Amino acid sequence: MTSQGGVQYSKIAEIKGPLVVVDDVENAAFDELVEIETKEGERRLGKVLEVGNGKAIVQVFEGTSGLSISGTSAKFVGKLMEMPVSKEVLGRVFDGLGRPKDGLPDPIADKFIDINGEPMNPEQREYPKDFIQTGVSVIDGMITLVRGQKLPIFSGSGMSHNILAAQIARQANVVGTKDDFAVVFAAIGVQYSEAEYFRRSLEESGALKRSVLFLNTADDPAIERIITPRVALTVAEYLAFDLGMHVLVILTDMTNYAEALREISAAREEVPGRKGYPGYLYTDLSTIYERAGKLNGRKGSVTQVPILSMPSDDITHPIPDLTGYITEGQVVLGRDLFRQGVYPPINILMSLSRLMKDGIGEGSTRADHSEVSNQVYDAYSRSQEVRALAGIVGKAGLTDIDLKYMEVGDMFEKEFLTQVTDENRTIEETLNLLWKIVSKLPKNEITKIKDKYIDQYYQGK
Amino acid sequence: MAAKGRIVWVSGPAVRADGMSDAKMYETVVVGNSKLVGEVIRLTGDVAFIQVYESTSGLKPGEPVIGTGNPLSVLLGPGIIGQIYDGIQRPLKELSKVSGSFIGKGITTTPVDMTKKYHFVPTVSNGDQVEAGSVIGTVKETDLIENSIMVPPDHPGGKISNMVSEGDYNLETVLATTEKNGQTNSLKMYHRWPVRKPRPYKNRYDPTIPLITGQRVIDTFFPIAKGGTGSIPGAFGTGKTVTLHQIAKWADSQVVVYIGCGERGNEMTEVLVEFPHLKDPRSGKPLMDRTVLVANTSNMPVAAREASIYTGVTIAEYYRDMGKDVVLVADSTSRWAESLREMSGRLEEMPAEEGYPSYLASRLAEFYERAGRVRAIGSPDRDGSVTLVGAVSPSGGDFTEPVTTHTMRFIKTFWALDAKLAYSRHYPSINWMNSYSGYLGDIAKWWGENISQDWLSLRSEAYGVLQREDTLKEIVRLLGPEALPDEEKLILEVARMLKIGLLQQNSFDDVDTYCSPEKQYKLLKLLVEFYRRGQQALKEGALLSDIRAMPIVTTLLKARMDIKDNEMPKLDSLDITMKEQFKAITGVKITN
Amino acid sequence: MVSNFALEETIDKILHNNEKSVLSNIQSGFIESQKTLDNAIPKLEQEFDKIISDGKKEADKIEKQIIGSSDLEARNKQLLALEIAIDKVFTKAIDQISNMTKSDDYSNLIKSLLEESTQILGTTNVIVNTNSKDKTIVQNLLSKYPGAELSSDTIDCLGGITVKSKDSTMKFDNTLDARIQRMKPLIRKEIASQFGVGN
Repeated sequence: MTSQGGVQYSKIAEIKGPLVVVDDVENAAFDELVEIETKEGERRLGKVLEVGNGKAIVQVFEGTSGLSISGTSAKFVGKLMEMPVSKEVLGRVFDGLGRPKDGLPDPIADKFIDINGEPMNPEQREYPKDFIQTGVSVIDGMITLVRGQKLPIFSGSGMSHNILAAQIARQANVVGTKDDFAVVFAAIGVQYSEAEYFRRSLEESGALKRSVLFLNTADDPAIERIITPRVALTVAEYLAFDLGMHVLVILTDMTNYAEALREISAAREEVPGRKGYPGYLYTDLSTIYERAGKLNGRKGSVTQVPILSMPSDDITHPIPDLTGYITEGQVVLGRDLFRQGVYPPINILMSLSRLMKDGIGEGSTRADHSEVSNQVYDAYSRSQEVRALAGIVGKAGLTDIDLKYMEVGDMFEKEFLTQVTDENRTIEETLNLLWKIVSKLPKNEITKIKDKYIDQYYQGK
Repeated sequence: MAAKGRIVWVSGPAVRADGMSDAKMYETVVVGNSKLVGEVIRLTGDVAFIQVYESTSGLKPGEPVIGTGNPLSVLLGPGIIGQIYDGIQRPLKELSKVSGSFIGKGITTTPVDMTKKYHFVPTVSNGDQVEAGSVIGTVKETDLIENSIMVPPDHPGGKISNMVSEGDYNLETVLATTEKNGQTNSLKMYHRWPVRKPRPYKNRYDPTIPLITGQRVIDTFFPIAKGGTGSIPGAFGTGKTVTLHQIAKWADSQVVVYIGCGERGNEMTEVLVEFPHLKDPRSGKPLMDRTVLVANTSNMPVAAREASIYTGVTIAEYYRDMGKDVVLVADSTSRWAESLREMSGRLEEMPAEEGYPSYLASRLAEFYERAGRVRAIGSPDRDGSVTLVGAVSPSGGDFTEPVTTHTMRFIKTFWALDAKLAYSRHYPSINWMNSYSGYLGDIAKWWGENISQDWLSLRSEAYGVLQREDTLKEIVRLLGPEALPDEEKLILEVARMLKIGLLQQNSFDDVDTYCSPEKQYKLLKLLVEFYRRGQQALKEGALLSDIRAMPIVTTLLKARMDIKDNEMPKLDSLDITMKEQFKAITGVKITN
Repeated sequence: MVSNFALEETIDKILHNNEKSVLSNIQSGFIESQKTLDNAIPKLEQEFDKIISDGKKEADKIEKQIIGSSDLEARNKQLLALEIAIDKVFTKAIDQISNMTKSDDYSNLIKSLLEESTQILGTTNVIVNTNSKDKTIVQNLLSKYPGAELSSDTIDCLGGITVKSKDSTMKFDNTLDARIQRMKPLIRKEIASQFGVGN
């Protein structure tokens, strides 16, 4: 904290989109926090995007509507944007810029932390390998989540991603540890009802007191969404690495974030990349997603479950595409399954957890986990091919073994995938269900499992 | 004279400074009060355009910029192996001692420990003539790496004097001096080399020796040669990183340089955690003893990402010059191209396709041109190679985007990853119809001489089956499998067996993760034999359902996991079992 | 009653005749029901256990919820109480400042504020505003700053000054109020720790 404060400049050269260009600026730094004051005395926050030759380009988080060339002033505060943090942020609700929204006073800060964070030194990271039991069979069994992972949910408009995320937040726990657990939830441009659903769900499970909520809802300023995930992650990092908690961060909906970024880029007249999104979208997203992880010699962890709705369910759209390149896998919801009323409607063939291999097996889940899940992947994939074929040639054109696979596929969806929203299955239950499916197959179709496990668990003829 | 200027403009990693008329292009400069590292990338009048390798948050116009007089260089000497560097060769371990778990700014360190002593054994004596590139002695860098101390490529050379005797010295010790034309120059264990300038060599060879990676779909179907170039494009989730890690782990090279260029932090951590415990299949020593990591993860400053590729390839060339085979893996060249695009945008250059600068193609060409198997300069004669493997991350998995299309012009092996295969858990998801290798003809001789003369013909036969299957699949899609005659159904069956038993490889399985050339050949031969015998059996009236039901089918599919590299006789005995089972279903003796 | 007797007899007869089959029927019925019962018992037990465990789960859930929200409520009340205390401390401190006698020390403070402000703006060619009480002190100090003028407009503040360039494009707020505002988070932390709260 500086006691100097900043100089207020009132020569505004230009206001365009979310940007204010200030002239005759002598003393401003790149990325510095700016306080904009309107003619009426209203204060808004912003930051410096570009500075030099007596000019500063300021991005205003709360938007520029109502600002005028004369009468508006910009104060350069002399520091980067910071979030006050302390243990007391737990159980609190903040707005998208990290200001209290629950009628309670500002948290009394233990520390003020730059919301942009610094990149974790890869050499200091601890490789994530602790299994998180979410109680959702398809995730625990087939797309296992581990502490310190970033695993997004790719969804589409109207699908049940928020219900799933809330279920994960309620049920997630690490078997065999007494370490503290916390949830940081950032609503980024979602409807109020969705944010409220989430809050209530946390409250009903008694988890609200170990949660922090940041809410930028659909009617809040769009540019603020650039900041929301960053303040949320700053708090998460503090809880994890200063206080030793295991933090699950849910960011919903990252598509709205990317759109805010596009808006700024367009106002700056930058050369656009795909679909008008800026060329640096990948790098920018990585500065959010890469803030998940574990560190050597520190107790806590930050696990991220970002949610993004794919525009027209298109997984090749730049937002899911670039996200998938950064995150450690993805959970993809399928429109077909959703239409059939399956919950959770996860398309396992398109889903993947990159860190699964290290989080499962003997000592964490069970020795046969990897192989039995591989076999089920294989079988389900085959069942989908057969289904497609049956659609053309009819069931009569199928061989006996093809029909068997179709049965296995149905069983997978009905008995394993389908689960009610408050059903919390143990990993043991989940694995036994997988074996039940595998046991439908004749033994000579099982090519991915070692004989010793087949002898132990196979229940078929 | 070093330039001394003043910042006039800051925007992200781009900075403009005036008063820089003494600065040179690509000179390294120190930027601002917090002493950030930057590089001059354009000069206009006395204004220098600088890309800064560290975060510029808080940087202000008016702060100083000071030139160093030197281009961006790496330090080359013993101590590099086993390190993890950022994009400008700062050791991440040392950085953490200064700034903790997160990367701070303005920290200066030396790339290697300058005080560490190595046991130096001279190979030349006082009075000997040496020239640029000549080896003057060796030190043991790691259990696996003998480091040849060379006269730097830009050194005048001359007559050796003041040669130290065998013993333990640190990097700063003057090991010898040279005299030439009345000038005296000293020689140490290390020298510096500018990263953007390829190191010189005497001459280049044709790539005729395969780089054995232990990955069947690569070695058997789409091989790469030592000193060759390869590219591996794929949408996310297609297993690109796992494949690259497999190459870094098992390739039969002496040194591996792994560049994590704009990728995930945990992937570098994985290498750091895993490699010290993995044993090189040939020497039995930890893999970390031959590996160098250059890590500039996606959230680290974007300009250093641009530099990381050059830092890595210069280190690779250094070990090549000692006569070693080096594999360089760059993951991902697309992120590197994006960093070019970002700087180009800030320079307000005219963009070409998708906003990439027009010089994208020439930069890619320059990079891949640094691969090769060469005869090093100086004496004694040393042959070494740099094999370059670059990952490409095409947006939306679209291979027609600029980075993929330009890369395809400069590489000879193309491993196309396929999302559909990955979705069905066929790993490595290298699509056998879209991939190619330009080295097949060149390296067939090696397989013939070292493994077996019929390798190439077996490979062609197996590949033929896969091609036939590809066309037959279309018919099946329309009419169902029952519409095909038995001969063609057999092709489908054999293709399935080739896919499961040969093309697929489980990198997480202790046995399957590495497959020796002998085992690859034997598996290939068994499957081709199965096809040949199956055809003959059908001709002799056997039923396809009987062929499918033979127990040998499952055995063959699992052989890749069940039979270890040192159990080759077991594979031979499978051939006998197969023969007997065919005999049983036809009742006719089948001859080879 | 005869007819009744006859009826009874007939029934007896019928019964007797059918006794065997009836008995065996009853027996098999019994065995059957025994079997069903035997089968049902574990099912029932399972059902019972499930009801109990579901009930327990539900009870646990409610307990968690109640404890969670009451904990939270108590904590929030504490936060509010603390804030009231902090506000009191602030009000008192501000009262003290505004009632401060204008000693030499105060003149020195204003001097350093002027020094700092002109330095930050990079010019002494400025207009200075202050409150009515401090006007004379400021006026006396201005002579050292060429070009500096005291505005006749006074501002409402505890003390200190605001300084702006003559073209009024730059302004620096160096009132005591602004300084206290900037220090507030640190002061709050300080006060909270005096109360024995916070980290």
